[in-house]
Amino acid sequence: MNTKYWFDKRWRLASFISPIALLLVWAWVTNMQWFSPQLLVSPLAVLTSFRELVASGELQEHLQDSLSRLAFGYTSGAFAGILFGILMALSRKIEVFFLPTFQAVRQIPTIALIPIFILLLGVDEVFKIALVVKAAFFTVGLASYEATKGLPRNYFEVAQMYKLPTWTLYRKVIFPAILPPVLTGLRIAFSRSWTVLVATELLAADSGIGQMMQMGREMFRLDIVMVGVVLTGLIGFSIDRVFKWGEVNLIPWRTVR
Amino acid sequence: MATYNKIGVNKMKVPGIKSFNVLLGWVVPLAILLVWELMSRTDSNHAYAFASLEQIYAALLEITATGELQQSLQASVLRALTGLAIGGSIGFAVGALMATSRIADTLVGPLYNIIRQVPLMGLVPLFSLWTGNGDTSKLLMVCISSFYPLVLATYESINQVESKYREVGDVYKLGKLRSFFTILLPAALPNIFTGLSFALAFAWLSTIGAEILFNAGAGLGNMMMNAQSTSRMDILIILTLLIGALGFSMNFLIGRLGAYLFRWRNLRT
Repeated sequence: MNTKYWFDKRWRLASFISPIALLLVWAWVTNMQWFSPQLLVSPLAVLTSFRELVASGELQEHLQDSLSRLAFGYTSGAFAGILFGILMALSRKIEVFFLPTFQAVRQIPTIALIPIFILLLGVDEVFKIALVVKAAFFTVGLASYEATKGLPRNYFEVAQMYKLPTWTLYRKVIFPAILPPVLTGLRIAFSRSWTVLVATELLAADSGIGQMMQMGREMFRLDIVMVGVVLTGLIGFSIDRVFKWGEVNLIPWRTVR
Repeated sequence: MATYNKIGVNKMKVPGIKSFNVLLGWVVPLAILLVWELMSRTDSNHAYAFASLEQIYAALLEITATGELQQSLQASVLRALTGLAIGGSIGFAVGALMATSRIADTLVGPLYNIIRQVPLMGLVPLFSLWTGNGDTSKLLMVCISSFYPLVLATYESINQVESKYREVGDVYKLGKLRSFFTILLPAALPNIFTGLSFALAFAWLSTIGAEILFNAGAGLGNMMMNAQSTSRMDILIILTLLIGALGFSMNFLIGRLGAYLFRWRNLRT
């Protein structure tokens, strides 16, 4: 976990001990059959039902539905959030009118909006995507607002001195300067969007990885639920890693220790 | 934009401008309210989704008179605080152990990082099979949500304690336990407290989430789902605003508490 041990090969190998031990204990406990299969299934059973779900094509369909909802909702919410944040920080007019409302609505957890959104929008696609958009918009919007607000006044004075056209000001000064904090905001917004999407799919959906888990829960198929738990974790983890990679590598002018 | 920059500058000189700006901040909420009220009056089709202000006020009287609101409120707040206390203390203990023992770090660290990747709400079906749909599962979710931030905060703030402080402990031959309680912990405490305030926010969020997803028992989230299934938009609006306001006040209070507790720190700001 700590990077200072990272180069120490022995400790690096040692970090595999506990996950492997956990897997072995898990397999051993299920092998002893102390618990009913509705409470605990063996790691092999989880793997088998994963293979079955892949072979029937069911899993791919669920994944595709979830990921396309996520991609659509997240991109539109995040994009709108970046723009709105910048505008709110640069224009006093917009700030004065919208910031109080923005801050107030931000206080309401996205998950608490689920019931109202169901009543207003029904339980179809629109409702799920709208919640993802909300989660992404406010998180990214706040990050980009605060980043732009924190830009030193000198940047703008220099730009004014060179009489930079508005578009160049944005492209050469504002966007690069706010990129690091905005990327962090994008990463946090992603994990929030993913959690919210899984929650909405658990509640109301006819497809998606959350619905697959919900179905497993109703049929007491713990193996299917476990496949879902592992997959949601893996997806969240890998996309988080992509963002972290971006935070380190997409910002060449930032010195990396 | 240019003219408003002038207003921004004027703000310093003319005392009336600031309060004027605050007034402008009310324009958008009032406009939304007005549109909402108009929608509720247009036709009966809209009336069910857009509850009028009168309706909302009547609903507020109704749910306070029956005691339903107070009961759910108490259940939710109690759940959030209990979960924070249990999950937070375990998280603190695990984080402190990982920061002080290299063996614990290599054994627990990887497991912590693996399990943390699963989105909290994704654990709902698993818990519902293991511990049912009631209070146990809800409390478990809240415990886990406050466990994660405290492990991380404790671990990192103890690791960040400057080595010259640790050396003082070595010089006085304090021993591991005493140097932990007299040197490491006090030095790390302000940052751990920041982790605690994150944990409080997560605990509140996951309380509401768990109550929405586990349908048995009392709580603001359960009350919301009941209101949703009977299409009571008026109750839903009251509860949603209340949840937002409570979350905000909790954050505010814990921030003030932190500022008071750690006032001995010489901060520049």
